[in-house]
Amino acid sequence: MLTLPLDLLFLFAITTPLIGWLAQKVDLPRLSGVYATLGILLSAFTAFQLLLQTLGGVVPPTPTSGLFNAYFDLDIFGSFAMVIQIGLGIAASIFSIQYMRSESGSSLYYALLIGMIGGMVGVVTAADLFTLFVFWEMMCLTSYLLVAFKNEEPEPVEAGIKYLLMSSAGSATLLFGISLLYGMTGTLNFGGLATALGHATPGPWLYIALLFIFTGFGVKAAIVPLHTWLPDAHSAAPSPISAMLSGIVIETGLLAMVRVLFTALISLQTYWSMVFAVLAVITMTLGNMTALVQDDLKRMLAYSSIGHIGYMLAGLAAGTVVGLTGTILHILNHALMKGTAFLCAGAIIYRLGSRNLADMSGLARRMPKIAVAFSIAIFALIGLPGLNGFVSKLTLFVSVADVNLAWVGIAIILNSAISAGYYLRIVRVMIETESEPSENLREAPVSMWFPIWILAILIITFGIWPDLVFNIAERAALAILSMT
Amino acid sequence: MIPLSYYLILTMGLYIVGMYCLATKRNVVRLVLGIEIMINAANLNFIVLSANWTEGFIDPLAHSIVMMSITLAGCISAAAFTIIIFVYRHYGTLDIRELRRLRG
Repeated sequence: MLTLPLDLLFLFAITTPLIGWLAQKVDLPRLSGVYATLGILLSAFTAFQLLLQTLGGVVPPTPTSGLFNAYFDLDIFGSFAMVIQIGLGIAASIFSIQYMRSESGSSLYYALLIGMIGGMVGVVTAADLFTLFVFWEMMCLTSYLLVAFKNEEPEPVEAGIKYLLMSSAGSATLLFGISLLYGMTGTLNFGGLATALGHATPGPWLYIALLFIFTGFGVKAAIVPLHTWLPDAHSAAPSPISAMLSGIVIETGLLAMVRVLFTALISLQTYWSMVFAVLAVITMTLGNMTALVQDDLKRMLAYSSIGHIGYMLAGLAAGTVVGLTGTILHILNHALMKGTAFLCAGAIIYRLGSRNLADMSGLARRMPKIAVAFSIAIFALIGLPGLNGFVSKLTLFVSVADVNLAWVGIAIILNSAISAGYYLRIVRVMIETESEPSENLREAPVSMWFPIWILAILIITFGIWPDLVFNIAERAALAILSMT
Repeated sequence: MIPLSYYLILTMGLYIVGMYCLATKRNVVRLVLGIEIMINAANLNFIVLSANWTEGFIDPLAHSIVMMSITLAGCISAAAFTIIIFVYRHYGTLDIRELRRLRG
Protein backbone atom coordinates (compact mmCIF):
# COMPACT_ATOMS: atom_id res chain seq x y z
CA MET A 1 0.00 0.00 0.00
CA LEU A 2 2.52 2.58 1.17
CA THR A 3 6.19 1.65 1.41
CA LEU A 4 6.83 -1.73 2.98
CA PRO A 5 8.41 -0.65 6.34
CA LEU A 6 5.60 1.84 6.84
CA ASP A 7 2.94 -0.80 6.12
CA LEU A 8 4.48 -3.11 8.69
CA LEU A 9 4.65 -0.33 11.28
CA PHE A 10 0.97 0.52 10.77
CA LEU A 11 -0.01 -3.15 10.96
CA PHE A 12 1.82 -3.62 14.25
CA ALA A 13 0.60 -0.32 15.68
CA ILE A 14 -2.99 -1.46 15.15
CA THR A 15 -2.55 -5.05 16.32
CA THR A 16 -0.41 -4.38 19.43
CA PRO A 17 -3.38 -3.31 21.63
CA LEU A 18 -5.21 -6.52 20.60
CA ILE A 19 -2.19 -8.58 21.63
CA GLY A 20 -2.05 -6.57 24.85
CA TRP A 21 -5.66 -7.47 25.57
CA LEU A 22 -4.88 -11.15 24.94
CA ALA A 23 -1.78 -10.89 27.13
CA GLN A 24 -3.92 -9.59 29.96
CA LYS A 25 -6.23 -12.61 29.60
CA VAL A 26 -3.39 -15.14 29.76
CA ASP A 27 -1.42 -13.10 32.33
CA LEU A 28 1.77 -12.52 30.34
CA PRO A 29 2.49 -8.80 30.95
CA ARG A 30 5.54 -8.65 28.68
CA LEU A 31 3.93 -10.24 25.63
CA SER A 32 2.82 -6.97 24.00
CA GLY A 33 6.34 -5.54 24.39
CA VAL A 34 7.92 -8.57 22.75
CA TYR A 35 5.35 -8.48 19.96
CA ALA A 36 5.93 -4.77 19.32
CA THR A 37 9.71 -5.26 19.32
CA LEU A 38 9.37 -8.06 16.77
CA GLY A 39 7.27 -5.76 14.60
CA ILE A 40 9.84 -2.99 14.71
CA LEU A 41 12.63 -5.50 13.98
CA LEU A 42 10.75 -6.79 10.94
CA SER A 43 10.20 -3.25 9.72
CA ALA A 44 13.87 -2.39 10.29
CA PHE A 45 14.86 -5.40 8.22
CA THR A 46 12.75 -4.27 5.26
CA ALA A 47 13.98 -0.69 5.69
CA PHE A 48 17.58 -1.91 5.56
CA GLN A 49 16.82 -3.83 2.38
CA LEU A 50 15.33 -0.68 0.86
CA LEU A 51 18.49 1.23 1.79
CA LEU A 52 20.65 -1.42 0.09
CA GLN A 53 18.40 -1.24 -2.99
CA THR A 54 18.61 2.54 -3.24
CA LEU A 55 22.37 2.42 -2.71
CA GLY A 56 22.63 -0.13 -5.51
CA GLY A 57 20.79 2.24 -7.83
CA VAL A 58 17.67 0.08 -8.09
CA VAL A 59 14.43 2.04 -8.27
CA PRO A 60 12.74 1.04 -5.02
CA PRO A 61 9.17 -0.25 -5.03
CA THR A 62 7.13 2.82 -4.14
CA PRO A 63 3.44 2.70 -4.99
CA THR A 64 3.16 3.28 -8.73
CA SER A 65 -0.58 3.25 -9.16
CA GLY A 66 -3.75 3.66 -7.18
CA LEU A 67 -4.51 5.81 -4.21
CA PHE A 68 -1.01 6.55 -2.99
CA ASN A 69 0.63 7.13 -6.35
CA ALA A 70 3.26 9.89 -6.27
CA TYR A 71 2.96 10.66 -2.58
CA PHE A 72 6.07 8.72 -1.56
CA ASP A 73 9.54 8.90 -2.94
CA LEU A 74 12.40 6.78 -1.71
CA ASP A 75 15.85 8.25 -2.24
CA ILE A 76 19.08 7.53 -0.37
CA PHE A 77 18.41 10.41 2.04
CA GLY A 78 14.97 9.08 2.98
CA SER A 79 15.96 5.45 3.32
CA PHE A 80 19.10 6.26 5.34
CA ALA A 81 17.09 8.43 7.76
CA MET A 82 14.46 5.69 7.92
CA VAL A 83 17.04 3.10 8.98
CA ILE A 84 18.30 5.42 11.76
CA GLN A 85 14.77 6.07 13.02
CA ILE A 86 13.61 2.46 13.08
CA GLY A 87 16.99 1.30 14.43
CA LEU A 88 16.80 3.57 17.47
CA GLY A 89 13.17 2.46 17.82
CA ILE A 90 14.33 -1.15 18.27
CA ALA A 91 16.66 -0.17 21.12
CA ALA A 92 13.97 1.89 22.85
CA SER A 93 11.42 -0.88 22.43
CA ILE A 94 13.67 -3.64 23.86
CA PHE A 95 14.53 -1.35 26.76
CA SER A 96 10.84 -0.65 27.42
CA ILE A 97 9.97 -4.33 27.92
CA GLN A 98 11.47 -4.20 31.41
CA TYR A 99 11.13 -0.46 32.05
CA MET A 100 7.39 -0.21 31.35
CA ARG A 101 6.55 -3.64 32.81
CA SER A 102 4.67 -2.26 35.83
CA GLU A 103 2.73 0.35 33.85
CA SER A 104 -0.94 -0.28 33.21
CA GLY A 105 -1.91 -0.17 29.56
CA SER A 106 1.62 -0.80 28.33
CA SER A 107 0.27 -2.17 25.04
CA LEU A 108 -1.08 1.31 24.28
CA TYR A 109 2.40 2.65 24.99
CA TYR A 110 3.86 0.32 22.35
CA ALA A 111 1.13 1.23 19.87
CA LEU A 112 1.99 4.92 20.34
CA LEU A 113 5.72 4.21 20.09
CA ILE A 114 5.28 2.36 16.79
CA GLY A 115 2.97 5.12 15.60
CA MET A 116 5.64 7.71 16.38
CA ILE A 117 8.25 5.74 14.41
CA GLY A 118 5.77 5.38 11.55
CA GLY A 119 5.16 9.13 11.53
CA MET A 120 8.88 9.85 11.36
CA VAL A 121 9.40 7.35 8.52
CA GLY A 122 6.56 9.01 6.62
CA VAL A 123 8.08 12.46 7.13
CA VAL A 124 11.42 11.52 5.57
CA THR A 125 9.98 9.50 2.66
CA ALA A 126 7.15 11.86 1.64
CA ALA A 127 7.35 13.29 -1.86
CA ASP A 128 4.74 15.91 -1.20
CA LEU A 129 4.58 18.68 1.40
CA PHE A 130 1.09 17.84 2.57
CA THR A 131 1.86 14.12 2.95
CA LEU A 132 4.83 15.28 4.98
CA PHE A 133 2.50 17.40 7.10
CA VAL A 134 0.06 14.54 7.77
CA PHE A 135 2.87 12.26 8.96
CA TRP A 136 4.35 15.19 10.87
CA GLU A 137 1.13 15.54 12.83
CA MET A 138 1.07 11.80 13.43
CA MET A 139 4.57 11.99 14.90
CA CYS A 140 3.65 15.04 17.01
CA LEU A 141 0.37 13.64 18.37
CA THR A 142 1.90 10.35 19.46
CA SER A 143 4.84 12.13 21.07
CA TYR A 144 2.54 14.41 23.12
CA LEU A 145 0.70 11.38 24.44
CA LEU A 146 3.92 9.49 25.13
CA VAL A 147 5.40 12.41 27.10
CA ALA A 148 2.25 12.54 29.24
CA PHE A 149 1.99 8.74 29.44
CA LYS A 150 2.62 8.44 33.20
CA ASN A 151 -0.52 10.44 33.91
CA GLU A 152 -0.67 9.52 37.61
CA GLU A 153 2.21 11.94 38.27
CA PRO A 154 1.89 15.73 37.82
CA GLU A 155 5.22 16.43 36.07
CA PRO A 156 4.67 14.40 32.86
CA VAL A 157 1.18 15.87 32.49
CA GLU A 158 2.46 19.43 32.90
CA ALA A 159 5.32 18.80 30.46
CA GLY A 160 2.89 17.18 28.04
CA ILE A 161 0.47 20.11 27.93
CA LYS A 162 3.26 22.66 27.54
CA TYR A 163 4.82 20.57 24.77
CA LEU A 164 1.44 20.20 23.05
CA LEU A 165 0.64 23.92 23.15
CA MET A 166 4.01 25.03 21.76
CA SER A 167 4.39 22.27 19.22
CA SER A 168 0.88 22.45 17.78
CA ALA A 169 1.14 26.22 17.49
CA GLY A 170 4.29 25.42 15.47
CA SER A 171 2.38 22.91 13.34
CA ALA A 172 -0.34 25.45 12.61
CA THR A 173 2.34 27.94 11.57
CA LEU A 174 3.88 25.29 9.32
CA LEU A 175 0.51 24.63 7.68
CA PHE A 176 0.10 28.35 7.03
CA GLY A 177 3.52 28.43 5.38
CA ILE A 178 2.64 25.40 3.26
CA SER A 179 -0.56 27.13 2.13
CA LEU A 180 1.49 30.14 1.01
CA LEU A 181 3.83 27.89 -1.01
CA TYR A 182 0.74 26.27 -2.54
CA GLY A 183 -0.61 29.70 -3.42
CA MET A 184 2.60 30.63 -5.20
CA THR A 185 2.99 27.46 -7.27
CA GLY A 186 -0.29 25.50 -7.34
CA THR A 187 1.52 22.29 -6.40
CA LEU A 188 3.00 20.78 -3.25
CA ASN A 189 5.18 18.13 -4.85
CA PHE A 190 8.86 18.69 -4.00
CA GLY A 191 9.88 18.29 -7.62
CA GLY A 192 7.20 20.73 -8.77
CA LEU A 193 8.12 23.24 -6.07
CA ALA A 194 11.78 23.02 -7.07
CA THR A 195 11.07 23.69 -10.74
CA ALA A 196 8.58 26.48 -10.00
CA LEU A 197 10.56 28.33 -7.35
CA GLY A 198 14.12 27.05 -7.68
CA HIS A 199 15.43 29.47 -10.28
CA ALA A 200 12.94 32.33 -10.10
CA THR A 201 13.85 35.61 -8.41
CA PRO A 202 12.38 35.49 -4.91
CA GLY A 203 9.36 37.67 -4.27
CA PRO A 204 8.24 39.03 -0.89
CA TRP A 205 5.76 36.16 -0.35
CA LEU A 206 8.60 33.66 -0.49
CA TYR A 207 10.29 35.42 2.42
CA ILE A 208 7.06 35.24 4.43
CA ALA A 209 6.65 31.55 3.56
CA LEU A 210 10.27 30.95 4.65
CA LEU A 211 9.57 32.64 7.99
CA PHE A 212 6.43 30.55 8.63
CA ILE A 213 7.96 27.23 7.55
CA PHE A 214 11.16 27.86 9.45
CA THR A 215 9.21 28.66 12.63
CA GLY A 216 7.05 25.57 12.20
CA PHE A 217 9.95 23.15 11.83
CA GLY A 218 12.11 25.11 14.26
CA VAL A 219 9.74 24.54 17.20
CA LYS A 220 10.07 20.79 16.77
CA ALA A 221 13.81 20.95 16.12
CA ALA A 222 14.29 23.11 19.27
CA ILE A 223 16.26 25.90 17.61
CA VAL A 224 16.99 28.40 20.33
CA PRO A 225 14.28 31.00 20.62
CA LEU A 226 11.79 28.13 20.23
CA HIS A 227 13.41 25.53 22.50
CA THR A 228 11.66 26.14 25.85
CA TRP A 229 9.46 23.04 25.72
CA LEU A 230 12.38 20.65 25.27
CA PRO A 231 13.98 20.31 28.72
CA ASP A 232 10.60 19.82 30.42
CA ALA A 233 9.32 17.27 27.93
CA HIS A 234 12.56 15.29 27.68
CA SER A 235 13.09 15.03 31.41
CA ALA A 236 9.48 14.20 32.31
CA ALA A 237 8.93 11.53 29.63
CA PRO A 238 9.68 7.83 30.28
CA SER A 239 13.40 7.26 29.60
CA PRO A 240 13.08 5.21 26.38
CA ILE A 241 10.83 7.98 25.04
CA SER A 242 13.41 10.59 26.07
CA ALA A 243 15.94 8.61 24.06
CA MET A 244 13.63 8.62 21.05
CA LEU A 245 12.68 12.31 21.39
CA SER A 246 16.21 13.47 21.87
CA GLY A 247 17.85 10.97 19.56
CA ILE A 248 15.68 11.27 16.49
CA VAL A 249 12.35 13.14 16.84
CA ILE A 250 13.89 16.62 17.08
CA GLU A 251 16.29 15.70 14.28
CA THR A 252 13.34 14.71 12.11
CA GLY A 253 12.40 18.40 12.28
CA LEU A 254 15.79 19.21 10.78
CA LEU A 255 15.51 16.48 8.14
CA ALA A 256 12.11 17.78 7.02
CA MET A 257 13.50 21.31 6.99
CA VAL A 258 16.39 20.16 4.76
CA ARG A 259 13.90 18.78 2.22
CA VAL A 260 11.98 22.06 2.01
CA LEU A 261 14.99 24.37 2.15
CA PHE A 262 16.83 22.65 -0.67
CA THR A 263 13.82 22.48 -3.00
CA ALA A 264 11.27 25.25 -2.56
CA LEU A 265 13.45 27.80 -0.80
CA ILE A 266 16.75 27.22 -2.60
CA SER A 267 16.62 30.67 -4.22
CA LEU A 268 16.91 32.27 -0.75
CA GLN A 269 19.97 30.23 0.20
CA THR A 270 22.34 33.15 0.75
CA TYR A 271 19.75 34.65 3.08
CA TRP A 272 18.89 31.62 5.21
CA SER A 273 22.42 30.28 5.43
CA MET A 274 23.44 33.49 7.23
CA VAL A 275 20.45 33.23 9.60
CA PHE A 276 21.34 29.60 10.29
CA ALA A 277 24.96 30.42 11.00
CA VAL A 278 23.93 32.93 13.68
CA LEU A 279 21.25 30.62 15.11
CA ALA A 280 23.68 27.68 15.15
CA VAL A 281 26.12 29.59 17.34
CA ILE A 282 23.37 30.87 19.66
CA THR A 283 21.75 27.42 19.91
CA MET A 284 24.94 25.51 20.71
CA THR A 285 26.21 28.11 23.19
CA LEU A 286 22.93 28.45 25.09
CA GLY A 287 22.35 24.69 25.17
CA ASN A 288 25.80 23.90 26.52
CA MET A 289 25.91 26.85 28.96
CA THR A 290 22.55 25.94 30.51
CA ALA A 291 23.54 22.29 30.77
CA LEU A 292 26.51 23.34 32.94
CA VAL A 293 24.28 24.40 35.83
CA GLN A 294 21.86 21.43 35.86
CA ASP A 295 21.76 18.90 38.69
CA ASP A 296 19.09 16.68 37.15
CA LEU A 297 20.75 14.08 34.91
CA LYS A 298 17.97 13.94 32.30
CA ARG A 299 17.63 17.74 32.17
CA MET A 300 21.37 18.02 31.61
CA LEU A 301 21.21 15.56 28.71
CA ALA A 302 18.19 17.41 27.30
CA TYR A 303 20.05 20.73 27.26
CA SER A 304 23.03 19.01 25.67
CA SER A 305 20.66 17.91 22.86
CA ILE A 306 19.96 21.60 22.16
CA GLY A 307 23.71 22.09 21.90
CA HIS A 308 23.99 19.27 19.38
CA ILE A 309 21.12 20.71 17.31
CA GLY A 310 23.36 23.80 17.07
CA TYR A 311 26.20 21.71 15.59
CA MET A 312 23.84 20.21 13.02
CA LEU A 313 22.56 23.67 12.03
CA ALA A 314 26.14 24.69 11.29
CA GLY A 315 26.25 22.09 8.51
CA LEU A 316 23.00 23.46 7.07
CA ALA A 317 24.45 26.97 7.19
CA ALA A 318 27.38 25.80 5.07
CA GLY A 319 24.90 24.31 2.59
CA THR A 320 27.57 22.43 0.65
CA VAL A 321 27.90 18.67 0.08
CA VAL A 322 30.39 18.48 2.96
CA GLY A 323 28.11 20.45 5.26
CA LEU A 324 25.06 18.33 4.54
CA THR A 325 27.15 15.16 4.90
CA GLY A 326 28.25 16.42 8.31
CA THR A 327 24.68 17.17 9.34
CA ILE A 328 23.35 13.77 8.25
CA LEU A 329 26.31 11.96 9.81
CA HIS A 330 25.87 13.89 13.05
CA ILE A 331 22.18 12.98 13.10
CA LEU A 332 23.15 9.29 12.94
CA ASN A 333 25.91 9.68 15.51
CA HIS A 334 23.78 11.78 17.84
CA ALA A 335 21.02 9.18 17.66
CA LEU A 336 23.52 6.53 18.79
CA MET A 337 25.23 8.67 21.45
CA LYS A 338 22.17 10.32 22.98
CA GLY A 339 20.19 7.09 22.66
CA THR A 340 22.84 5.32 24.74
CA ALA A 341 23.07 8.18 27.23
CA PHE A 342 19.31 8.44 27.83
CA LEU A 343 18.85 4.67 28.03
CA CYS A 344 21.71 4.50 30.58
CA ALA A 345 20.04 7.31 32.53
CA GLY A 346 16.83 5.28 32.36
CA ALA A 347 18.55 2.16 33.71
CA ILE A 348 20.08 4.18 36.55
CA ILE A 349 16.73 5.79 37.40
CA TYR A 350 15.09 2.36 37.28
CA ARG A 351 17.45 1.03 39.96
CA LEU A 352 18.10 4.21 41.95
CA GLY A 353 14.70 5.90 41.77
CA SER A 354 16.25 9.35 41.57
CA ARG A 355 17.25 11.69 38.76
CA ASN A 356 19.54 13.79 40.90
CA LEU A 357 23.19 13.62 39.89
CA ALA A 358 24.41 13.84 43.49
CA ASP A 359 22.67 10.57 44.40
CA MET A 360 24.64 8.64 41.79
CA SER A 361 28.04 8.81 43.44
CA GLY A 362 30.03 5.60 43.31
CA LEU A 363 27.52 4.03 40.97
CA ALA A 364 30.19 2.48 38.72
CA ARG A 365 31.05 -0.15 41.35
CA ARG A 366 27.50 -1.46 41.52
CA MET A 367 26.45 -1.07 37.88
CA PRO A 368 29.70 -1.51 35.89
CA LYS A 369 28.06 -2.46 32.57
CA ILE A 370 25.85 0.63 32.54
CA ALA A 371 28.63 2.92 33.78
CA VAL A 372 31.10 1.83 31.06
CA ALA A 373 28.53 2.21 28.26
CA PHE A 374 27.49 5.60 29.66
CA SER A 375 31.13 6.73 29.69
CA ILE A 376 31.61 5.64 26.06
CA ALA A 377 28.54 7.67 25.07
CA ILE A 378 29.78 10.68 27.04
CA PHE A 379 33.26 10.59 25.50
CA ALA A 380 31.66 10.35 22.06
CA LEU A 381 29.39 13.32 22.85
CA ILE A 382 32.42 15.39 23.81
CA GLY A 383 34.03 14.39 20.52
CA LEU A 384 37.09 12.40 21.56
CA PRO A 385 39.01 10.99 18.56
CA GLY A 386 38.32 7.31 17.95
CA LEU A 387 34.63 7.62 18.72
CA ASN A 388 31.94 8.56 16.22
CA GLY A 389 31.17 12.06 17.53
CA PHE A 390 34.64 13.22 16.52
CA VAL A 391 34.18 12.27 12.86
CA SER A 392 30.97 14.20 12.34
CA LYS A 393 32.12 17.24 14.34
CA LEU A 394 35.30 17.35 12.26
CA THR A 395 33.24 17.14 9.06
CA LEU A 396 31.03 19.99 10.25
CA PHE A 397 34.07 22.07 11.19
CA VAL A 398 35.70 21.52 7.80
CA SER A 399 32.46 22.41 5.99
CA VAL A 400 31.98 25.76 7.74
CA ALA A 401 35.67 26.61 7.39
CA ASP A 402 35.38 26.01 3.63
CA VAL A 403 32.68 28.62 3.10
CA ASN A 404 34.22 31.49 5.09
CA LEU A 405 32.19 30.86 8.23
CA ALA A 406 35.26 30.10 10.33
CA TRP A 407 33.70 31.81 13.36
CA VAL A 408 31.03 29.08 13.43
CA GLY A 409 33.81 26.49 13.36
CA ILE A 410 35.56 28.18 16.27
CA ALA A 411 32.25 28.19 18.16
CA ILE A 412 31.94 24.41 17.56
CA ILE A 413 35.39 23.81 19.07
CA LEU A 414 34.81 26.14 22.04
CA ASN A 415 31.45 24.53 22.70
CA SER A 416 32.96 21.04 22.65
CA ALA A 417 35.35 22.25 25.34
CA ILE A 418 32.52 23.77 27.41
CA SER A 419 30.44 20.63 27.04
CA ALA A 420 33.31 18.53 28.43
CA GLY A 421 32.77 20.46 31.67
CA TYR A 422 29.39 18.93 32.40
CA TYR A 423 29.80 15.61 30.61
CA LEU A 424 32.92 14.74 32.58
CA ARG A 425 31.11 15.68 35.78
CA ILE A 426 28.78 12.72 35.18
CA VAL A 427 31.77 10.37 34.79
CA ARG A 428 33.43 11.79 37.90
CA VAL A 429 30.31 11.31 40.01
CA MET A 430 29.94 7.74 38.78
CA ILE A 431 33.50 6.65 39.65
CA GLU A 432 33.73 8.59 42.93
CA THR A 433 35.06 6.46 45.79
CA GLU A 434 34.44 8.71 48.81
CA SER A 435 30.85 7.71 49.52
CA GLU A 436 29.43 4.21 49.52
CA PRO A 437 26.65 3.64 46.94
CA SER A 438 23.29 2.64 48.35
CA GLU A 439 22.95 -1.01 49.32
CA ASN A 440 20.12 -2.16 47.08
CA LEU A 441 21.74 -0.79 43.91
CA ARG A 442 22.65 -3.61 41.53
CA GLU A 443 23.29 -4.24 37.84
CA ALA A 444 20.42 -3.49 35.46
CA PRO A 445 18.58 -6.48 33.94
CA VAL A 446 19.70 -8.01 30.62
CA SER A 447 16.91 -6.49 28.56
CA MET A 448 18.21 -3.06 29.63
CA TRP A 449 21.95 -3.38 29.19
CA PHE A 450 21.68 -5.41 25.98
CA PRO A 451 20.26 -2.59 23.75
CA ILE A 452 22.57 -0.12 25.48
CA TRP A 453 25.63 -2.17 24.61
CA ILE A 454 24.51 -2.70 21.01
CA LEU A 455 24.39 1.10 20.61
CA ALA A 456 27.71 1.54 22.47
CA ILE A 457 29.44 -0.99 20.18
CA LEU A 458 28.07 0.88 17.15
CA ILE A 459 29.52 4.13 18.59
CA ILE A 460 32.99 2.54 18.72
CA THR A 461 32.60 0.84 15.32
CA PHE A 462 31.60 4.02 13.50
CA GLY A 463 34.36 5.86 15.34
CA ILE A 464 37.10 3.52 14.19
CA TRP A 465 35.73 2.82 10.71
CA PRO A 466 33.79 5.97 9.77
CA ASP A 467 33.92 4.94 6.09
CA LEU A 468 31.14 2.44 6.82
CA VAL A 469 28.62 5.26 7.03
CA PHE A 470 30.47 8.30 5.67
CA ASN A 471 29.91 7.37 2.02
CA ILE A 472 26.23 6.68 2.58
CA ALA A 473 25.82 10.06 4.29
CA GLU A 474 27.64 11.75 1.42
CA ARG A 475 25.40 10.10 -1.16
CA ALA A 476 22.35 11.11 0.89
CA ALA A 477 23.59 14.70 0.82
CA LEU A 478 24.11 14.48 -2.95
CA ALA A 479 20.56 13.11 -3.31
CA ILE A 480 19.23 16.20 -1.53
CA LEU A 481 21.34 18.61 -3.59
CA SER A 482 20.28 16.97 -6.86
CA MET A 483 16.59 17.58 -6.11
CA THR A 484 16.62 21.05 -7.64
CA MET B 1 -14.89 40.57 -7.73
CA ILE B 2 -13.05 41.10 -4.49
CA PRO B 3 -9.25 41.15 -4.99
CA LEU B 4 -7.20 38.29 -3.56
CA SER B 5 -5.21 40.50 -1.22
CA TYR B 6 -8.32 41.26 0.87
CA TYR B 7 -8.78 37.56 1.54
CA LEU B 8 -5.11 37.17 2.42
CA ILE B 9 -5.36 40.07 4.86
CA LEU B 10 -8.35 38.29 6.43
CA THR B 11 -6.48 34.98 6.85
CA MET B 12 -3.39 36.73 8.17
CA GLY B 13 -5.62 38.61 10.60
CA LEU B 14 -7.20 35.35 11.75
CA TYR B 15 -3.74 33.86 12.27
CA ILE B 16 -2.71 36.89 14.33
CA VAL B 17 -5.89 36.59 16.42
CA GLY B 18 -4.93 33.00 17.21
CA MET B 19 -1.38 34.03 18.06
CA TYR B 20 -2.68 36.86 20.30
CA CYS B 21 -4.94 34.38 22.07
CA LEU B 22 -1.95 32.10 22.71
CA ALA B 23 0.14 34.96 24.03
CA THR B 24 -2.36 36.59 26.39
CA LYS B 25 -4.88 34.03 27.65
CA ARG B 26 -4.28 32.06 30.84
CA ASN B 27 -6.89 29.32 30.59
CA VAL B 28 -5.51 26.18 28.90
CA VAL B 29 -8.79 25.52 27.08
CA ARG B 30 -8.64 28.99 25.54
CA LEU B 31 -5.07 28.32 24.43
CA VAL B 32 -6.21 25.18 22.60
CA LEU B 33 -8.95 27.23 20.95
CA GLY B 34 -6.27 29.72 19.88
CA ILE B 35 -4.38 26.91 18.16
CA GLU B 36 -7.60 25.83 16.43
CA ILE B 37 -8.07 29.40 15.15
CA MET B 38 -4.54 29.36 13.75
CA ILE B 39 -5.18 26.05 11.96
CA ASN B 40 -8.43 27.42 10.57
CA ALA B 41 -6.61 30.47 9.25
CA ALA B 42 -4.31 28.15 7.31
CA ASN B 43 -7.29 26.12 6.05
CA LEU B 44 -9.05 29.27 4.89
CA ASN B 45 -5.85 30.29 3.13
CA PHE B 46 -5.83 27.02 1.17
CA ILE B 47 -9.45 27.57 0.10
CA VAL B 48 -8.80 31.18 -0.90
CA LEU B 49 -5.75 30.29 -2.96
CA SER B 50 -7.40 27.31 -4.65
CA ALA B 51 -9.56 29.64 -6.73
CA ASN B 52 -6.61 31.81 -7.66
CA TRP B 53 -5.22 29.87 -10.60
CA THR B 54 -7.64 29.80 -13.47
CA GLU B 55 -10.75 31.96 -13.80
CA GLY B 56 -13.81 29.91 -12.89
CA PHE B 57 -11.82 26.79 -11.90
CA ILE B 58 -11.33 25.66 -8.33
CA ASP B 59 -8.45 23.30 -7.58
CA PRO B 60 -9.83 20.21 -5.79
CA LEU B 61 -6.38 19.45 -4.30
CA ALA B 62 -6.73 22.29 -1.80
CA HIS B 63 -10.16 21.11 -0.73
CA SER B 64 -8.98 17.57 -0.07
CA ILE B 65 -6.06 19.03 1.88
CA VAL B 66 -8.45 21.07 4.01
CA MET B 67 -10.59 18.00 4.74
CA MET B 68 -7.51 16.14 6.00
CA SER B 69 -6.36 19.16 7.94
CA ILE B 70 -9.71 19.52 9.74
CA THR B 71 -9.44 15.87 10.78
CA LEU B 72 -5.93 16.47 12.11
CA ALA B 73 -7.11 19.54 14.03
CA GLY B 74 -9.79 17.37 15.62
CA CYS B 75 -7.15 14.84 16.66
CA ILE B 76 -5.02 17.58 18.20
CA SER B 77 -7.87 18.97 20.26
CA ALA B 78 -8.88 15.46 21.37
CA ALA B 79 -5.33 14.81 22.59
CA ALA B 80 -5.17 18.26 24.17
CA PHE B 81 -8.40 17.84 26.13
CA THR B 82 -7.33 14.37 27.30
CA ILE B 83 -4.19 15.88 28.80
CA ILE B 84 -6.13 18.91 30.15
CA ILE B 85 -8.41 16.58 32.15
CA PHE B 86 -5.33 15.13 33.87
CA VAL B 87 -3.92 18.64 34.40
CA TYR B 88 -7.12 19.57 36.23
CA ARG B 89 -7.00 16.40 38.34
CA HIS B 90 -3.43 17.07 39.48
CA TYR B 91 -3.39 20.83 39.84
CA GLY B 92 -7.05 21.69 40.46
CA THR B 93 -6.79 24.63 38.06
CA LEU B 94 -6.64 25.32 34.34
CA ASP B 95 -4.47 28.42 34.66
CA ILE B 96 -1.27 27.85 32.65
CA ARG B 97 0.67 30.16 34.98
CA GLU B 98 -0.12 27.91 37.96
CA LEU B 99 1.62 24.98 36.24
CA ARG B 100 5.11 25.66 37.47
CA ARG B 101 6.28 22.47 39.09
CA LEU B 102 8.99 22.11 36.44
CA ARG B 103 11.57 24.84 36.54
CA GLY B 104 12.13 26.39 33.14
